[in-house]
Amino acid sequence: MLLRTLTSLLSSGARVDTGDGFWLPPQASTYSQGIDWVFYFIYWICVFFFVLIVALMILFVWKYRRTSVTHQAGETVTHHTPLELTWTIIPLILVIAIFWIGLDGYVDMIRPPANAYEVNVVAQRWNWSFEHRNGAQDSQILKVPAGRPVKLVMTSQDVLHALFIPAFRAKQDVVPGRYTTLWFEAKEPGLYQLFCAEYCGTQHSQMGATVAVYPPDEFDEIIAKDARWLDNYTDENLYQAGLRIFARCSSCHSLQEEVRLTGPSFWDVHDDFGKKRLMEGDYEADIDENYIQDSILNPQKDIVATYQGVMPTFQGALKPREVRAMVEFLKRLDEVVDRQGNPIE
Amino acid sequence: MTTLESTPPTPAATNYLTHTRGFLSWAFTLDHKRIGVMYLVSVLSSFLVGGIFALLVRTELIAPGETIMGQDAYNKAFTLHGAIMVFLVIIPSVPAALGNFVLPIMLGAKDVAFPRLNLFSYYLWVFGAFFLVAAIFQGGLDTGWTFYAPYSTEDARSGVILATTGVFILGFSSIFTGLNFIVTIHRLRPPGMTWFRMPLFLWSIYATALIQVLATPVLGITLLLLIVERVMKVGIFDPALGGDPVLYQHFFWFYSHPAVYIMILPGMGIISELISVHSHKHIFGYKFIAFSSVAIAIFGFLVWGHHMFTSGQSGLMNAVFSAITFSVSIPSAIKVFNWLATMYKGSISLNTPMLYALSFLFIFSIGGLTGIFHGTLATTIHLHDTYFVVAHFHYVMMGSALIAMIGGLHHWWPKMTGRMYSETLGRIGCIIVFVGFNVTFFTQFMLGSKGMPRRYHDYAGETWSPELTELFHTYHFISTLGSYLMAAGFFLTAGYLLHSLVKGRKAPSNPWGGRSLEWQCTSPPPHDNFSSAPTVGDCYDYSVLEWDDAEGGYRWREDVPHPV
Ligand code: HEC
Ligand SMILES: [Cu+2]
Ligand SMILES: [Cu+2]
Repeated sequence: MLLRTLTSLLSSGARVDTGDGFWLPPQASTYSQGIDWVFYFIYWICVFFFVLIVALMILFVWKYRRTSVTHQAGETVTHHTPLELTWTIIPLILVIAIFWIGLDGYVDMIRPPANAYEVNVVAQRWNWSFEHRNGAQDSQILKVPAGRPVKLVMTSQDVLHALFIPAFRAKQDVVPGRYTTLWFEAKEPGLYQLFCAEYCGTQHSQMGATVAVYPPDEFDEIIAKDARWLDNYTDENLYQAGLRIFARCSSCHSLQEEVRLTGPSFWDVHDDFGKKRLMEGDYEADIDENYIQDSILNPQKDIVATYQGVMPTFQGALKPREVRAMVEFLKRLDEVVDRQGNPIE
Repeated sequence: MTTLESTPPTPAATNYLTHTRGFLSWAFTLDHKRIGVMYLVSVLSSFLVGGIFALLVRTELIAPGETIMGQDAYNKAFTLHGAIMVFLVIIPSVPAALGNFVLPIMLGAKDVAFPRLNLFSYYLWVFGAFFLVAAIFQGGLDTGWTFYAPYSTEDARSGVILATTGVFILGFSSIFTGLNFIVTIHRLRPPGMTWFRMPLFLWSIYATALIQVLATPVLGITLLLLIVERVMKVGIFDPALGGDPVLYQHFFWFYSHPAVYIMILPGMGIISELISVHSHKHIFGYKFIAFSSVAIAIFGFLVWGHHMFTSGQSGLMNAVFSAITFSVSIPSAIKVFNWLATMYKGSISLNTPMLYALSFLFIFSIGGLTGIFHGTLATTIHLHDTYFVVAHFHYVMMGSALIAMIGGLHHWWPKMTGRMYSETLGRIGCIIVFVGFNVTFFTQFMLGSKGMPRRYHDYAGETWSPELTELFHTYHFISTLGSYLMAAGFFLTAGYLLHSLVKGRKAPSNPWGGRSLEWQCTSPPPHDNFSSAPTVGDCYDYSVLEWDDAEGGYRWREDVPHPV
C-alpha cells in the first residue's frame, strides 16, 4: 500500500517488466546485454551437447536392444586413446573459451566508472536503507537516474544479506563489518524489482524493494526535494511525517490493531500512552514521550513483555527531527490512520 | 563374531541373513554385509523424513501467501530438508550403505580391513543423527544446512550447537568409513586383481574415500570453531566480536565442495557398473574412467571459492576459482562419452537398474552442463542464490547421485536380499520418478533465471511487484505438482521392494549377467562371502557367461576354463 503510493511518483501505468521468453528478465542495465550474450552462448553449447548425448543414448538403446538372452554384444575395441583424447580436448577448448568470455564480461561488472553516482546502502533485518549524499533517504524504494552509472556502497548492521536486481543482472553480498560495492547503469526509466538474495532469517522473502529509474533531470529534482522533505512540515503537523518514516519500521511493526509481527502493533503503544505497562523482567514503565524515544534510540533498555529484544537501535540512522516526528506520530496515531492502518485523508 | 546362539553353519544352507539370529546378532555384528544393510535401512528412513520436509516446502510454495506454514516454520523445514538429505542421506548412501555391502565381496575378501571400526562408524552415524534429530525437537534450527555466520552464531539460534555437534560426529563416521575402505582396497585385493583389474565402482569408492579422509576434518574444525564462538564468545566469524563472516564460508566450502564429489563420485562408479553389465558389453576406456575419478577428487579440492563469487572476495580470486572450476567438467565429460561408447554395439536390456542408469545419463547431462553457467563469472553473478542453483544442484545431487544410488540398490537388491522384485513395477516406478523429477526441477531453472531467489517462504507481499508474483506462481505450481508425482514414484518403489522381501521370486546368483566377483557367490551371500578363494579375470568380459534357463540367471560357460 505504502509502496504503491510512493511509486505513483513515477509516470502512471508503470509496470515491472518480467521479460520475454523462458529465460532471463529484461535487459535494463548497460552490461546486461553482454551477460545475456554469454548466457545464450553457453546455452546453445549445452543444448548441442545435451541433444547429442540423449540422441546417441536413445539410438543405441533402440538399435542395440537385447533381443534374447543369447543375444551377444558386437565386437568392438575396449578402448581407443585417440577417440578418448578427442572428447577430452574438444570440451577442454570449449571451456577455456567460455572462461575467457565470462571473465571479459565480468570485468565490466566489477569496475565502476569513476564518475558514478554513489548511494550508501545499509541492510538491516529485513529492511534496506538507501542513503543519498545530499541526505535524502528511502527504504522501500531505490531511486536512481537513467543513463548515469550508479555505485552502491553497502554494509550490513546484523547478518549477511545480498542485494539483487534481476533486471540489471547485478548481485552482491552485503556483509556486516565491511563495505562491498556494486555498480550498474540503468538504460531506461522504469520500475524494477530488488531482492535480498542471501538468507537472513524470518522475513528474508519480504526484504525486497523497488528500483525506480528516473529521467536524469527529473531525478536531480526529486532527490533534492527528498532531502528537504521534513522541512515541508511545521512543528504542528510534524506527526504526519511519521507515516513515511514508518516504512523503516514496517517489517516488525504494523499499523493494524490486530496484527503483531516481530514487534508490537503501534496501536499498542498508542493506546497505552500515559499509562503504565509491565516490562520483561517484571517491572512497570511509564509509557510517555521518553519511553518512545528510548524505544527507538536505545531499544534494549525496556523490552516489552512477551517480545524478544531484537529491535535495532536507530541512533544515527534517524535524525533528531525524524525521531521527534515518530514520537508525535505514535502519540497521535489515531489522527493519521484508522485501526486497519489505512491513511485518513 | 559376537553371537548369541550360533547354529553350526552348513555353507550351502545358511547365508549372512540366516547365519545367526536375534536382535543382538545384528546390533553387535562385525559382518560388513549386515552393517551395510543397517546403514541402508537407516539411510532410507532418513530419506523418508527428509522427503517429507521437501514435500512440506513444496506445498508451502504451491501458491503465493502463507499456504500451510508461517515463515519461521518454513525456514526450519528447508533447513532440515537440506541437512538431513546431505548429511544423513546422500553422503552415506552409496559408500556406507551399498559400498559396505559390495566392496569386500567385489574384492573377494571376507570383510573390510577393520570390521570393528566399521561397526563403530555405524554407531557414530546413529549418534550423530540423534543429535540432528534432537535439534529438530529443540526447535531452533533455521540457518540453512550451510550454517552461515554470523546468523548461526546468534544466541536465538538455539538448535545450532546440537546440530553442528551432530554433523561433527557424522563427519567422524564418514572419515572412519573412508579410512577403512582405503586400507581394504590396498591390502585385501585377491591375487590377480591388480589396480587396473578392479571394478570401476571400487575406483570411485577409493577416490571418494580419499576425499572423505582429507576434507572432512576441515568441516570438523569449522564446526568446532563455530561452537567455540557460540559458547565462549571468541571472535572468529562474527564481526560483532571482531571475527570475519567470509572466513567461515572459506572453511565451510573447503569441505563442502569436495563433499559434492563424495556424493557424486560413488554414483558415477555405480553407473559404470550398471551400463556395462546391462549392456552386456565390456566397459569402454577403463583407464580414462578410473583416472577421471581420481582427477575429480583432486580438482575438487581446489574450487571451493566458486561458492563465494558474490561474497565480496576479490575479482582476481573469482577469476582463479572460475578457471579451476572448469577443470572439473573435463573428467565428467570423459565419463559420459565413455559410457555412451560402452553402450555402442552392446546388447542392451532395459532392466530397472539400466533404466535408472539411463535416467542418470539424461539428468546428469543437464546437471553438469548447467554447472557451466555457474562457473562462468559473467553469468554466475545473476544466477547465484536463485532457483537456478537450486535446480542445478538437485539435478546433480538428487537426480544424479541419488538416482544412481537407487539404480545400484535395484542392481544389488537380488544379491542383498536373495529376492527378485517385480520388473514391471520397477520400470514403472523409475519412469514416474524420472518424469516427476524433471517436472519439479526443470521449471526451477526458469524460475531462477527470471530472478526468483532461493530460500524464500513466499513470492508475494508488500515489497513484491505483482507481475513477478504472477509469473513465479505458474512455475512454482508446476514444480510442486512434479514433486507429488515424484513422491508417488518413490512410494511405489518402496512398496514393491518391501513386497519382494516376502513374495519375491528367489534370486539366482547372477540375475543380470555381471562378471565382477559379487555375482559369483550365492544370493544372498554366505556369511564368509566365498567358500573358496574366487578367481579373478577381466571383470568386464561377459563372453564367458551364458544364460541358464533352469536357474533364471547367468552361469559360467562350460567350455570356458576358469582363470587361474
Ligand atoms: C527488527 C525488527 C524491528 C524494527 C525494524 C523496529 N522495531 Fe520497534 N520493536 C521491535 C520489537 C521486537 C519490540 C519489542 C521489544 C522491545 O521493546 O524492544 C519493539 C518495540 C518498539 C517500541 C515499544 C512498543 C511498545 O508497545 O511498548 C517502539 C515505540 C518501537 N519499537 C518503535 C520502533 C520504530 C519507531 C521503528 C522504526 C523507526 C522500529 N521500532 C523498528 C522490533 C523492531
Ligand atoms: Cu535476506
Ligand atoms: Cu562447489
